[in-house]
Amino acid sequence: MSDMSRRDFLKMASAAILTASGLLGLGGLFRFLAARTEPLPPTDFDLGPASNYPPGSRTALPDIPALLVHTQNGFSAISLVCTHLGCTVESKSEGFSCPCHGSRFDPQGKVSRGPAKKPLNSLRTEASSDGKLHLSIN
Amino acid sequence: MRPSFLHHLHPPTIPARQARLRYSLAAGGLAIFLSMILLVTGLLELFYYIPTPDQAATSIQTLTFLVPYGGLVRNLHYWSAQFLVIVTLVHLLRVIFTGAYAAPRRFNYLLGMGLLVLAVLLDFTGYVLRWDEGIHWALVTGTNLVKSIPLIGNALYIMLVGGTQPGPATLIRFYGWHIFGLTLAAGILTGWHIFRVRRDGGIAVPPPALRQDQARITRFELVRREVLAMLVTATALLLLSTFAPAPLSAPITSPAPAFGTTLAPWFFLWVQQMLKLGNPFFWGVFVPLAVLVLLSLIPYILPKPTKPELGRWFPKSNRLAQVVALVIFLAMLVLTLLAFLPAS
Amino acid sequence: MRRYFLPAASIFLLLGLLISAWQESRHPKPIDLTPTLTGQVEYCLSCHSDLAEISSSHPVKSFGCVLCHAGERLALDANLAHSTMRAGKNPSDFSVVQASCGGANCHSGTAEDFRDHIQRATTSIQATYAGAIANIRYTFGVQADLKARLGVFAVQVPQSTSGITELAAFDPLQETNSFILAFGQNCLTCHLSALPVQTGGRYDHFTGCSACHTPTQSASLTSVDTNTATQVHKLTTAISYTQCNTCHNRGNYDLRSMTFQPRSDLPTDRLHDYYQPIAQFTRCEWKLDCVDCHTRTEAMGDGNLYSVKKNIQYIQCKTCHGTLADRPQTRTLTDPNDPAFRLALLNPVVTLQLGEPILVSEKGEPLWNTRVLPDGTYQLVGKATGKVFSFKPVMGSACTQTGDDQSSAYCHTCHSVQR
Repeated sequence: MSDMSRRDFLKMASAAILTASGLLGLGGLFRFLAARTEPLPPTDFDLGPASNYPPGSRTALPDIPALLVHTQNGFSAISLVCTHLGCTVESKSEGFSCPCHGSRFDPQGKVSRGPAKKPLNSLRTEASSDGKLHLSIN
Repeated sequence: MRPSFLHHLHPPTIPARQARLRYSLAAGGLAIFLSMILLVTGLLELFYYIPTPDQAATSIQTLTFLVPYGGLVRNLHYWSAQFLVIVTLVHLLRVIFTGAYAAPRRFNYLLGMGLLVLAVLLDFTGYVLRWDEGIHWALVTGTNLVKSIPLIGNALYIMLVGGTQPGPATLIRFYGWHIFGLTLAAGILTGWHIFRVRRDGGIAVPPPALRQDQARITRFELVRREVLAMLVTATALLLLSTFAPAPLSAPITSPAPAFGTTLAPWFFLWVQQMLKLGNPFFWGVFVPLAVLVLLSLIPYILPKPTKPELGRWFPKSNRLAQVVALVIFLAMLVLTLLAFLPAS
Repeated sequence: MRRYFLPAASIFLLLGLLISAWQESRHPKPIDLTPTLTGQVEYCLSCHSDLAEISSSHPVKSFGCVLCHAGERLALDANLAHSTMRAGKNPSDFSVVQASCGGANCHSGTAEDFRDHIQRATTSIQATYAGAIANIRYTFGVQADLKARLGVFAVQVPQSTSGITELAAFDPLQETNSFILAFGQNCLTCHLSALPVQTGGRYDHFTGCSACHTPTQSASLTSVDTNTATQVHKLTTAISYTQCNTCHNRGNYDLRSMTFQPRSDLPTDRLHDYYQPIAQFTRCEWKLDCVDCHTRTEAMGDGNLYSVKKNIQYIQCKTCHGTLADRPQTRTLTDPNDPAFRLALLNPVVTLQLGEPILVSEKGEPLWNTRVLPDGTYQLVGKATGKVFSFKPVMGSACTQTGDDQSSAYCHTCHSVQR
């Protein structure tokens, strides 16, 4: 190290400092690009009175998108977002079918065919004390 | 006649054989011409397009229907863009099938591959700017594909989309990329690419001693031919743009889910077909990148044409590269055509 | 030869430009309209300028087209412009009526303001078909009583004088009884959300509000227009009996085979056209139109859910004619905000003056097309025909009614017409 000339040392130091500056700038650039200026999309939805969804009903909720099912066991909700690449699946009599790459799911949301691997997400439903139904995506 | 600036951009003479249309297909030159049209029509569209989710699609409707020749400007922009991608691919194929990528032209070949990628990205970002139901699915799946990249996917996604799901931030970023970021990069690469053509010795030919035909044409004749090509192309584009309108659908009205077409834009149909096979990252990111890398490596890893065989179609010495390229392109073509079969 | 390439290409370019310009001139010329109610310019008139005004109360200068129909207001390409229209040609279909006809200042305001049309129409028995559904299910043993539980669509009201505050959607596919399945397949074409079995011809009508208010049938038999359904852009309150007949008086149900037998007669005049050959009716029941007697709440409901049509139908002969003991009820129009004036404005077959006495129904609904004449007789002007009819009260006449039975069947025993 002591054999290095002053010139070489200064060159090395400048390069190191410029590299550090570049990395700092890059870090700043990433923070700049990754800024989120929009509010987060909602994760909780008020579905209104539970009596709107009588037993035996399967109600499509296009804004979420989800399917609300009311059986003897109570309420359940299935997300209609395909687990492959995020398209909204279509409800069919034999389950769900995704128009983008052909994934198929059974009525409970399990994968029956297609490039998707994971089943459709189950979403949490809760009834509040005043009889209103809430749905949350996690 | 004193050569003008335009004439001086060209070499004083070029070999006559390689200056023929049936040799070069005028592909490279057409790419430049189409880029010029895109710049001009793009600027004209800038005066009417409004990059917010509420106004994007309706501002395009205003331009198309209510501005005199607005529809023509938009159609010219659309068709020039699609033909630019096609012409770039034709040029790539021509370069491979005439073995024009050998040293010292290997770096220029890479610049050309970069330009291909930029052309496709410009086409895609422009497509998204419509912000109508026709592009809705492509936007959702395309951005989710980025998310599927391991380790850096989520960070890349946020930088691309500007949030956790496509929205106003996404539109303005795609707008920024399309009218400036990608255009600037394409401009720099184009300039560099043309410079390298000149510095690498112009159009690939055998050295003078091995050349069969010593005839050459002057820069004046070359410019005359280019002007002719531009006139014919311009007329064809004009007629196409007059009678075949660019696609337009109803605006996206969030937050309702997409109801538009589920077909990817034509240049990504091959990727959409592969995505039906399974893992999104593998089929949607890895394989397309691998294809790109393979094509880019052709000048480096495959046998290259010998000097006597330069400047002609289908030289024997780089047959392997031709076959590899042909197989890749046929596969992409077949995958693309498969998209038009009725859904199973 | 080669030297001519450039000039030739130039000529072709010029030709191309000229063709472009010619094609541009062939595009529909944009005709703009900025309705006062929206303030947003729309270009529907570029292609649709030949369409007549839909009604005097919906002038296109105030409403424009997009307020009711939606659609892409800036597009001059038909497919794009129409792609986001509400319910295609008919924005009054109940699936979209709130968005098209609703709004507190329009047709989904309050009852006090007389602006609760949508709330009343969508809960009416003509819309829900709740009565027929309950009746069939009771008849075939699927429900224990005649109380309505199902309608053609699910509906809820905050309160209801009948005690019924909600109806679930009737889904024939959930029913196991074969008769009710057949009912679901064959008999659900006469409610306000269903299109008629055969389109075109005498029984054609739209759905939603337009089922009654858009005249798909001409008012007179002599100018039968069999292809009007797709070309009528009109809203009216002057509803002819022919419009009601697109559902009513068309034929009979056979419960055992669960089929509908359309009437087979070919009437050539109003008398025979009005009712099926088996029906009995008095002279005013075929000379007047249905709307001349049947009131707004009878046809469109009063906002409550009912199990039976009879719960909402209350007009009787005595409403206009009175009884031996009583004259018909009247009201003198002293309030300039009386709904009678508004109704008369919408369909000016009469001009009502402040201080005029008119007949009112038992529920206080103004029979605005009637007036009390100074000599103690009464006058009615046909809402759809404009014809003037004079009539006398029962009181002081030779009528031999017992007084306790005021049903139409009772009056028919003497007053029904021989066909």
